[in-house]
Amino acid sequence: MIRRLPLALLLVAIFLGGAARAQETPRAKALGQKLMCVCGCNQILTACNHVGCQYSHKMLQEMDQLVARNDSDDLILQAFVQEYGPTVLSEPPTKGFNWAAWVVPIVAPLIAMFLVWQVVRRWRTRAQLAPAGPGVSPELLARAQHEADKDLDE
Amino acid sequence: LDIFGSFALLLALLAAVYAFAAGIAGIVTRRTILTKSARNAGLAVFGLVTLAVASLEYFFFTDNFTMAYVAEHSNRALPLFYKFAALWSGQEGSLLFWSWLLSIYAFSALFLNRKKHPELMPYVGVVLAGVQTFFLTLNNFVATPFTVLGSANSAGVFHLARVAEGNGLNPLLQYPEMVIHPPMLYLGYTGFTIPFAFALAALLGRYPGEKWIHITRRWTMVAWCFQSIGILLGAHWAYAVLGWGGYWSWDPVENASLLPWITGTAFLHSVMMQEKRGMMKVWNVWLVFTTFMLSILGTLLTRSGVISSVHAFAQSGIGSWFVSFLAIVLVVCFWAWWMNRDYLRSDNQLDSLVSRESSFLFNNLVLLAACFAVLWGTLFPVLSEWFTRSKISVGPPFFNKVNVPIALFLLLLTGVGPLLAWRKTSFDALRRNFAWPLSGGVVAGTIAFIFGFREIYALICLVLSVFVTLTIFAEFYRGARVIANRDRTNILSAVGDLTMRNTRRYGGYVVHFGMVLVFIGIAGSAFNKDVQMDMSPGQSLAIGPYTILCQNFDQVANDNYQSERATLEVFRNGHSEMMLYPQRRLYLASQVTETMVAVQSSAIRDLYVVYAGRNPDTGKPVIHAYLNPLVKWIWFGGVVVVLGTGLAMLPNRRTAIVLKAVKEKSWGDAVPATAPPVRRAESHD
Repeated sequence: MIRRLPLALLLVAIFLGGAARAQETPRAKALGQKLMCVCGCNQILTACNHVGCQYSHKMLQEMDQLVARNDSDDLILQAFVQEYGPTVLSEPPTKGFNWAAWVVPIVAPLIAMFLVWQVVRRWRTRAQLAPAGPGVSPELLARAQHEADKDLDE
Repeated sequence: LDIFGSFALLLALLAAVYAFAAGIAGIVTRRTILTKSARNAGLAVFGLVTLAVASLEYFFFTDNFTMAYVAEHSNRALPLFYKFAALWSGQEGSLLFWSWLLSIYAFSALFLNRKKHPELMPYVGVVLAGVQTFFLTLNNFVATPFTVLGSANSAGVFHLARVAEGNGLNPLLQYPEMVIHPPMLYLGYTGFTIPFAFALAALLGRYPGEKWIHITRRWTMVAWCFQSIGILLGAHWAYAVLGWGGYWSWDPVENASLLPWITGTAFLHSVMMQEKRGMMKVWNVWLVFTTFMLSILGTLLTRSGVISSVHAFAQSGIGSWFVSFLAIVLVVCFWAWWMNRDYLRSDNQLDSLVSRESSFLFNNLVLLAACFAVLWGTLFPVLSEWFTRSKISVGPPFFNKVNVPIALFLLLLTGVGPLLAWRKTSFDALRRNFAWPLSGGVVAGTIAFIFGFREIYALICLVLSVFVTLTIFAEFYRGARVIANRDRTNILSAVGDLTMRNTRRYGGYVVHFGMVLVFIGIAGSAFNKDVQMDMSPGQSLAIGPYTILCQNFDQVANDNYQSERATLEVFRNGHSEMMLYPQRRLYLASQVTETMVAVQSSAIRDLYVVYAGRNPDTGKPVIHAYLNPLVKWIWFGGVVVVLGTGLAMLPNRRTAIVLKAVKEKSWGDAVPATAPPVRRAESHD
């Protein structure tokens, strides 16, 4: 009896753990991408398959019911937010402070690009103002340019 | 032995503190004996931390469950190599492991340079000792791995206690790659300390010349290579163990490993500007500083629990220590830069916007944009909660939307950059270099479109991948053709010769090619499919060209786990092709159940099958099958990246006419007058 205990435990664990249900309709799959599993696994709802996850199976069942009722996407997402809080959404909402999540990764590189552009302009101005080197004949310059283009070793 | 380990760790801390203090004193007083003594103390840290690590491993191998850390993370039935890996499975052990790897790096840097750079090395030793002091303080006083189980009685006498069996290793870590993935990643994280030490030392000591940047680049390549291996193994582990069908979920800990890798990549490109043209010195120094700080931030994210993650295996309130350390590092870096900013003045200016220099500038900007976007998304839940008092999630869809366009732009620059000449590129050269690769990319894209390829990002990725591949092959071909004509040799041996003449450049191209393969593999995820079904023996499910027939379910057992296993026969076009055995395991010591995925991998696609448990409603076993195209390209691309990095680290082989002549002249009469004037020899770049 004792030797069979681990096997019994395994079966209990497998039954208790349950399995997340797959969303077969494209709409349900797409909606599943917009929601996170709230078990703390940090995965989108349709990807969570953690053993013993107490949420994903239930959440997917709820979603199936709402999809079957032909509720709009917004309504379905809103229903999940009402039940599980805003953390259930896989993306930050585009309103209030959370709008910054979307804007900053675009604006910050643009500002950086502008600053770099200013630096490059200053460099180029300095380069143009720099005194010219010893005189080089156009033929030599053209040959050097040609050689440089073909240069194999950087 | 627990006292032995603790004592070794305490001595290591004292040695690090001494190396730090004596090093500063030696620099200030200019007394060589002090700097030598500091260096020896720095070398001794390695030996002492090694003793501490060895004693902890001994406890694991001997199942010494009086040690709290061993009892928490091991059990008797655990296979030996997992007992070895249990060292880094928890907070205390992984921090000790970090200190040990850092001490190996520090020992190597101090020992290899013991007779070189006498003006620079004392500063390097001080910086390394400072970082080691921080981590050894954590090891000794905040997260000691040598805590013993027991309690004190009323008389104050301590009695050792012992549990009969340990809790076992986290089942997620019981996978062969977990024996090598964390060490590789940690070697990456800790490795970035060495370039940081050299950069800060050069700045503090105003070390003349560009030698320090060469040293920094080489050490960065070592750390970057390990970090790349670590990230790839981590992705493979996630793919093979977590059982959700993917390899990258933009988890905070995954992101944390990516951040220093991105800035390290930026540095490895921009450093060429400094070496070739004496430009971007401030930028480079700050890239090295940032890379080090991001590797500390990565540890903070992994260890502190500030952000929830499925990968954060050991969490605690250790975060404040890391935040304080980061603040100190930032202040020191800023002060060092401010006091010595005139030392970092550029030697040259940008001559043209169409040049290799400007492509490096763009490349750096885009890499930093990617780094910022990942960091921003990772930390945004914390920021949002701080500002709005309400928690939100930033999941994979956000990261994909923000980072995929940036990554594609980077792929474009991977092809464009090498085609531009230093200083200025003429229109003719542009046309000549770009015409064929660009045409090839467009043709490939058009063909794919005609055949029904409609995923826009995947299509762009395909066009760019072909473009970059052709530019790389064209670079090899152009160079090899010249050598083949000159030496009258075949093109393949000319490619070999060309590569060995400039390992850094052509190794870099190999790395780029590896990245192209990785990108193609990632683009394949746009075409993933999955089917899930409750299956009894005799039932089948169809996915892509495969039909999976369930034959039976049985139980497998050993001392470590009990497993329920599905036996699945896979048919293709009516023919039996393979058997797959996905499992669901119950680990006995920890009483935790995990999935064991069955994967049939090919260059075209992976058939990935998970035994997902039983349907709570029907009680039937559930099989979840995924068809993931091109995943193997990612792993193969990763191998190419690592090989390319290794190649780039090799010294160049040059025609050493001058060196040979100089040597012969210095040997005088020993060299016969008839010695051939031209010989090949090995020489360092």
